[in-house]
Amino acid sequence: MKGRLVLVAAAVGSLAVAGCSSSSSSSSSSAASGGGASTSTKSCVTSIGIEAPITGPVASLGTEQLHFAELAVSMDNAANNTKITLVQGDTQLQPAQATTVTQQFISNSAITAVVGPAGSQEVEAVGGPMGRAGMAFISGSATAVALTTGSYPTFFRVVSKDSVQGPQDANYIINNLHPKALMIVDDQEAYSTGLVSAMLPIFQKAGIKVDHESVSQKVTDFSSLVAKVTSAESVVVLPWQIAANAQQFGRDLAQEHKTAVIFGTDGLFSPGTFTISGSYVSSFGPDITAIPADASIAAAAQSKYGSFGTFGPPVFAATHVIDEAIASVCKAGQTPSRANVLAAIKQTNEPTSILGQPISFDSHGDLVNGKFFLFKINSTGKYQLIPS
Amino acid sequence: MSFFFQELVNGITTGALYSLVALGFSMVYGVLKLLNFAHGDLYMVGAYIGFFLIQFFGGAAHVSIPVPLLLVIMFVVAAALVGGLGVAIERFAYRPLRDAPRIAPLITAIGVSFFLESSALLLFGAQFRVYNTAEFISLSSGIRIGSVTIDSVQILVLVLGLALMAGLQLIVNRTRLGRQVRAVAADREAAEMLGINVNFVITATFFLGSALAGIAGVMAGLLFNQVTSTIGFIAGLKAFTAAVVGGIGSIPGAMLGGLLIGIAESFVTGYISSTYTNLIVFGLLIVVMLVRPSGLLGRVQLQKV
Repeated sequence: MKGRLVLVAAAVGSLAVAGCSSSSSSSSSSAASGGGASTSTKSCVTSIGIEAPITGPVASLGTEQLHFAELAVSMDNAANNTKITLVQGDTQLQPAQATTVTQQFISNSAITAVVGPAGSQEVEAVGGPMGRAGMAFISGSATAVALTTGSYPTFFRVVSKDSVQGPQDANYIINNLHPKALMIVDDQEAYSTGLVSAMLPIFQKAGIKVDHESVSQKVTDFSSLVAKVTSAESVVVLPWQIAANAQQFGRDLAQEHKTAVIFGTDGLFSPGTFTISGSYVSSFGPDITAIPADASIAAAAQSKYGSFGTFGPPVFAATHVIDEAIASVCKAGQTPSRANVLAAIKQTNEPTSILGQPISFDSHGDLVNGKFFLFKINSTGKYQLIPS
Repeated sequence: MSFFFQELVNGITTGALYSLVALGFSMVYGVLKLLNFAHGDLYMVGAYIGFFLIQFFGGAAHVSIPVPLLLVIMFVVAAALVGGLGVAIERFAYRPLRDAPRIAPLITAIGVSFFLESSALLLFGAQFRVYNTAEFISLSSGIRIGSVTIDSVQILVLVLGLALMAGLQLIVNRTRLGRQVRAVAADREAAEMLGINVNFVITATFFLGSALAGIAGVMAGLLFNQVTSTIGFIAGLKAFTAAVVGGIGSIPGAMLGGLLIGIAESFVTGYISSTYTNLIVFGLLIVVMLVRPSGLLGRVQLQKV
């Protein structure tokens, strides 16, 4: 059964990449996103790829990422007078599929840089080939610590890494929620297990009894697991990526009359989907609808694609970094290539961004001075920022 | 002890869902010897139908008709539409290949599965659709014995699931259609020679099996709240496993297989660890298959040479 999926997914992915080579977002006259100066279009024609889970179990996140990449290209083309086209690659959050898409992108000489992929496990799969091809790629959601230890020289990310989020969240739980025992449940993906690895030693050092559980992302029935939550376990930590699953977990807690508080990591930041009152959610980005400078982008995204969470805006930021790098190359009178776009991305120094913080990268591709934000869900399901 | 009973209730509830989907799998295999991999996707379609009916009647928070009536409409409409979809799939995708080598309809079944999944993605989008059952069926309603909680949705799933299984048993064992289904399952050519309308029997089997999958989809939506285009894959996999463990082609076997898997998952999660649930449950199932290759209630197929 799984074999059929792998085979067919590979075929579908190849077709998608091939078929989508001609589909792209185009120039738009929509509001400018702020950024570089006007550039000659004569030689500023190039393509960038986006690797996102457009179908599959986290398609809702992937389509949000795709939409924000399209929005960024559209706005930046208008602002910079460039003709950048976006080539889609559907990874389904599968490393094997991401590898197939990456090989397609590498063999497409028109593509000078890539946005994505979304998952840390996918970055691990494509980091080698991307590096050998000299192709810059910027993820808006891969947060595993191991990705920026020097193994992938062309990798960058516009979000903070788990070594920031994990300890920050664990310390908040210890210092503010004071649990004697807690349950932590990973979802068997690198994102989740990485965060658990970062948090567990801190909980154990604080003397908290930890019940570490593990469920697949595809599981939707948590009643048996919830039955295991003891009265001493006042917190359940869910470093998950599917908000609807956490919502169901919360419902199961209520149904079995358990009072434990859910603490979710950034993958669960999804107003409108995860709304369990009293829960906490951390996020690598703020709620951009609450940032006045992002009003035009938020309004454009809302009107064009509907409601969104926190997975889209970082991809907008990643795409914008690439767009600006391409524009700067063109402004310098060069034709965009993988080498000069990579060099320009390394020089990125944006004083502000859609994420409400500056964007520049250290020598390993990590966001400099990245931070996480913490929210509490109130009784109406609204996310309220907890002052740091 | 209350923990034991809580896990038992949880396991039986989940197992009842597996059983309902497994029944259709097993029935289709029984009459056509076809592994209908699209069956899980019919469950997904049923779940979507339930969701859109809730929206049609005002949404979860403002249901405009009495809730019992809404539930009846959801189950009946899902059964009818998904049953009809199953019949259409059989007519246009499987019947032309009925005499082809067995690999052909198998590949077609995989294709139909992807067709349904991708169609749902295109039509309904990638986002999770949420039933919000708690908005119209209170979580506090139901039964509470000590610390064991059985909410009203679980009761509904259990009662309706068991009633449907019993009803199907009656149809298969006590009606003319049931006799015809058993005859076609035993020997299709002989049944045809005896004057049984084989096409009608196969169509009826697809309708019944698909309708059960549609009802199971609505139940899953009520119980687990979320619907996406991909939920049919896991459901289909579990149902297929349940059907094989129970003895594929055997209706009581499918029921038993589903319940066993549900209960085993629940107890392994509760008493050992969720980390090892699939490992242990499927390990046990491998042992069962080694001991009884034809499944718990399956019959050994003798082949004369």
